[in-house]
Amino acid sequence: MEQLKIAFDKVIKDLELSDENINSRKKNFNQFVENGFPNKKVEDWKFSDLNQIISTNIENLRFHSDLELSKVDETIFINKFSHNKIIFLNGAISNIDFTHEDETKLSLTRDLNQNENFKEVNPLVSLNNALIASYIRITVKENYSLNKPLVIYNITTKDLKSTVLNLKTDIILEKNSSLRLINLFDDNSENNFINIVQNFDIAKDAILKNYKIDHKINSNIKYCYNNINLEKNSISENFILSTGSKFIKNEVNCNLNDEYSSAFINGIINLTNSQHHEIKTNINHLAENTKSYQLIKSVLNDNAKGIYQGKIYVDSKAQKTNGYQLSKALLLNENTEFDGKPELEIYADDVKCSHGATSGNLDEDAIFYLMSRGLSHQQSKELLINGFLIDAVEKITDEEIKDLIKNMIGITE
Amino acid sequence: MLQIKNLKAKIDNKEILKGLNLEIKPGEVHAIMGPNGSGKSTLSNVLSGKKGYNVSGDVTYLNENLLDLEIEERAHKGIFLAFQYPLEIPGVNTNIFLKTSLNAIKKAKGEKELDAIEFLKLVKQKASELKFDEKILSRQLNVGFSGGEKKKNEILQMSILNPKLSILDETDSGLDIDALKIVSEGVNALRSKESSFLIITHYQRLLEYIKPDFVHVLINGQIVKSGGSELALELESKGYESLS
Repeated sequence: MEQLKIAFDKVIKDLELSDENINSRKKNFNQFVENGFPNKKVEDWKFSDLNQIISTNIENLRFHSDLELSKVDETIFINKFSHNKIIFLNGAISNIDFTHEDETKLSLTRDLNQNENFKEVNPLVSLNNALIASYIRITVKENYSLNKPLVIYNITTKDLKSTVLNLKTDIILEKNSSLRLINLFDDNSENNFINIVQNFDIAKDAILKNYKIDHKINSNIKYCYNNINLEKNSISENFILSTGSKFIKNEVNCNLNDEYSSAFINGIINLTNSQHHEIKTNINHLAENTKSYQLIKSVLNDNAKGIYQGKIYVDSKAQKTNGYQLSKALLLNENTEFDGKPELEIYADDVKCSHGATSGNLDEDAIFYLMSRGLSHQQSKELLINGFLIDAVEKITDEEIKDLIKNMIGITE
Repeated sequence: MLQIKNLKAKIDNKEILKGLNLEIKPGEVHAIMGPNGSGKSTLSNVLSGKKGYNVSGDVTYLNENLLDLEIEERAHKGIFLAFQYPLEIPGVNTNIFLKTSLNAIKKAKGEKELDAIEFLKLVKQKASELKFDEKILSRQLNVGFSGGEKKKNEILQMSILNPKLSILDETDSGLDIDALKIVSEGVNALRSKESSFLIITHYQRLLEYIKPDFVHVLINGQIVKSGGSELALELESKGYESLS
């Protein structure tokens, strides 16, 4: 905790912050100090004891990084399609590139004093609020659709160790605008805790497609908190590819604030060794005729652990809500564990809500069928696993990005 | 080609095959008929290598001990089982599966694998011979296929893989008369001096279209009677009761 105080004092001293900003940070700082990293006694964290995960994996945790910005390895960039870029390097913004766009239709700010979202949602968001030193807010103006996707690269280099990084992005889509966003992690570092908060405000008739890719195997521990506010007739499509980190918890809080707004959260958890990944969603239906859809497919090998906690809340005002969630898990080894916690909390009477969860092993009869056609056991297994995962991938509506993700997970056609 | 001597198979300590003897020479078509529970499907499963059976006896296939071979090795060496109940495999595209299968077998034989264009040409030709709508092949393997489509898909696989020994496990069940004709034509087209067939069926009907050289009656895990194709007609009129 001493390290934490040093980091906080440094933030207050080094950054030119308004009094209001400093006060908000202090409140958040105290909130984190009081609670610390969440442990399994906290209901939301009962399947993932973060406090224990951090203390067993990271020694001498530091809360700030002194690393200078270095050159980015450009070979890691997506080369299948051209795109706009924002690059976070070890937690600091190193590059912003919107060459494919009409820049008058976008507004960007990195001014920390304009970061107004300081809600104390949980201790980790508070930690982020207290220490955030590198911030970007992107506003897409009315009626503008970006020509190319925006890729936010979160890159860490191998000299980063035992450090907490806090990243924060705000994205505002004005009326009838649209954005295709990829959050791509490229971790070359070991044993750090990366704490990411992203806030999305999606105005009337706007469309956000948000694809999160954590695919490169690494020993970092991550928490990603996404808050999404949807206005009338707006759409938020989310896909989470969760295969890379030692531990990651993706938490999505989605508020369907006005009529005919809809949210889609689909994802794949595919783990080996002792990886431990969680997806937690809160979908809040707060107005009539809102829709949500979630499909999560998990494949667990070795000693891996996967968790899906999905909650659908339907307010008494939210008549004609349509809410759906399905979680399916394949456990390929008896040492794997999958925990599912579906929750429906419904206060309206004219709604259509359903949830389902299955877990099981590969079908031995199907393996026999494939092997009797000359496929090896390994080939048969891979074909069945890909077949199991593909319907979640098929939910991706952007063809370029769907192909990119299929390629990453080895689904060929 | 195939010699079976004193084949016994147990599952969960229950003996199903109780000393079965059978010899199939290249180019021959053998039919095995028998009542429910006589061990017909067990025989086809044991020959294609399905796990879970406790097997003893001698099975020689092309001068090798068949029982020592893995499931996929048997396929590589030309054994094909047309399933009684072809599996539905969600998410696996039928064409991709067929290509993976064909190329796995070609690779094992040391032959050149087919590329996508060569493969599609072959599939198109075989599908049209079987009057099989090739659109169905871009769908998920057997998912939502009708009973007849599933069986035709088995025969299509057989004709693409061009096996030496084909085992047809009740391929006629669930087929209407038109589908039965098409399936039979598919099988007859593959008959040659080198390829042999073992046709397992309840009914004589299929054997009107695929004329067997030999008919065997399997009852309670043993072949109790063998004869020519006329034996099938005799069974049809008298039933199995007279033999047990």
